[in-house]
Amino acid sequence: MIVASGLRKIYRVGSMEIKAVDGLDIFIEAGEFLSIVGPSGSGKTTLLHLLGLLDAPTSGSISIDGMDTAALSPKQLTRLRREKIGFVFQEFNLLPVLNARENVELPLRYLKVPAEERRRRALRALEMVSLTDRADNRPGQLSGGEQQRVAIARALVTEPVLVLADEPTGELDTYNTCKVIELMRDLNRDTGQTFAIVTHDPMVADYTRRIVSLRDGRIASDSAGPEAALECDAGAGDIR
Amino acid sequence: MFRYVLRNMWRRKARTFLTVFGIVVGIFALTVLGALSARLNQQVKGAEAWFTSKISVVPSGSSLFGGSEGYLELSKVDEIEAVPGVKSAVAGFGLTLGEESIGFGAPELIVGAELEKAGDLLSLIELNRGRLLQMGDERKAVLGSTLAEKFEAGPGDTVELRGKDFEVVGVYEPTLSAPDGFAFVSYEDALNLFREANPYFEVRDIAATIDVIPQPGVDMEELAARIAESVPGVKVISPAEAEKQISQFSLIFNAILLGIGFIALVVGGLSIVNTMIMSVSERTQEIGLKKAIGAETGSVLGEYLLESAMIGFFGGLVGMLLGLLAVALLNRATASSNVAVFTVTATVVVGPVVFATLLGTAAGIFPALRAARLKPIEALKED
Repeated sequence: MIVASGLRKIYRVGSMEIKAVDGLDIFIEAGEFLSIVGPSGSGKTTLLHLLGLLDAPTSGSISIDGMDTAALSPKQLTRLRREKIGFVFQEFNLLPVLNARENVELPLRYLKVPAEERRRRALRALEMVSLTDRADNRPGQLSGGEQQRVAIARALVTEPVLVLADEPTGELDTYNTCKVIELMRDLNRDTGQTFAIVTHDPMVADYTRRIVSLRDGRIASDSAGPEAALECDAGAGDIR
Repeated sequence: MFRYVLRNMWRRKARTFLTVFGIVVGIFALTVLGALSARLNQQVKGAEAWFTSKISVVPSGSSLFGGSEGYLELSKVDEIEAVPGVKSAVAGFGLTLGEESIGFGAPELIVGAELEKAGDLLSLIELNRGRLLQMGDERKAVLGSTLAEKFEAGPGDTVELRGKDFEVVGVYEPTLSAPDGFAFVSYEDALNLFREANPYFEVRDIAATIDVIPQPGVDMEELAARIAESVPGVKVISPAEAEKQISQFSLIFNAILLGIGFIALVVGGLSIVNTMIMSVSERTQEIGLKKAIGAETGSVLGEYLLESAMIGFFGGLVGMLLGLLAVALLNRATASSNVAVFTVTATVVVGPVVFATLLGTAAGIFPALRAARLKPIEALKED
């Protein structure tokens, strides 16, 4: 459960003030599947960074599972991020010198999980994204869709309470976009993990259960999503 | 972690190779010079034992290491012996073994000593086999260890010194210094050899050096000062003075070694810094990702420090091995003339590798700090 209130993030560029997030309250319940949409510059990525504890708000507060994050030191924030939050980025951000399994293991390394268990959990996460057979491949040998699925496995492997995805389908074709969203929705249903997806793709938003729309750093609308049925057209093909 | 860092290094093979090669060159030079210096220090150490257990009196204007101008009159021996505290003063006459002897380190010498009084002097070095020279020995020689090896001669064998046959009566233990290349003979024999070589030079009652053995319990430095005061026209080299000359000699070589080390430090270190800065900026996004998913500052710092330490380590290892190879080949090349120019000690092997690894680590500090201090969102944004 994430509660953010009076959230404000102001960047200063020279003498200019940019209010990326400007007095925003949001309440995300455990197990939600929501999208954050809005035109570019509306503050959605900044909001995601704030919720993900990657950036500190200028003012306002965020609490995760009842813990107020404002009082935490950078080290404690890192730990909280490590234990509670998973990230999926637009550009996948896999490490090119590690194979799929090793990439998925990475967050567990930082959690100091023993090697044997790390391996087991990574393989299970890869199984969840249907990539067991690609475990030994490096990112360069995987298609965009496969890479993003590896990244999702990496986000899930620590069993976080919150998965934050920043334009996770931004670099994927229609078919892979569909598959990735389908995967996230299934995982949300099966594991009960909370997913918050930043996207500018209306199709993606339509698949979610709640759509938070931002404009000028504030919430313009917050409504239930149509949660459209997914039918991924295999005819679009998986471009490798 | 090691494997991961190695894979990262392998991403830019050419650049990593060139950086490592830069270290290899520096460490190669350091290793070869280190072996050279180890050999010199060994010689100097041995020489110290020889030269500091006695007081040497030489013609004024010359030093411990040759450069003798003129000779001492034999009458000086009596004058020195008259100084209180002197047990014996032994006239010595040295000449080079070959007609021309240009070699590395101490030259091979024929050293003549007055046998009536030279007992104490000649027993400063331990005998390996045979016997010491005795009073009345003519055309007899005791060889230093290196010389004995060179002639492949032991007691009973005959060797040719400057065209004359000498019977070997004894061989000294190795001292790893100058006296290893000495052939000890009687004063008269040495003088005769000199006369042969210089037929137009009137040679009578002269000595090249006079070695002074003090009475037991006499302070050598004070005695040296007394001799210098009471015997005119000579230069007295006390043990302390000898040590000073010897250490000056080795100081120069150690300074050269330090200089090479410093150049290796600057050139190699800067190239590692450069490579690491490039690696860090290339991998900015990856660093951001790691920090986003929970890597601590220390873990990123350690990763990049390890990478630069490994560049140093590999460069050091390869450079050291190449250096040892070069040293072995050079020593083999000079083996025929029985001159070992290099000595490989533990320091020579371990030192350069440790040095290179520390250098790599130090060079990595700045780039690694840069990596570790990156803010995750800013790093992720960068393309």
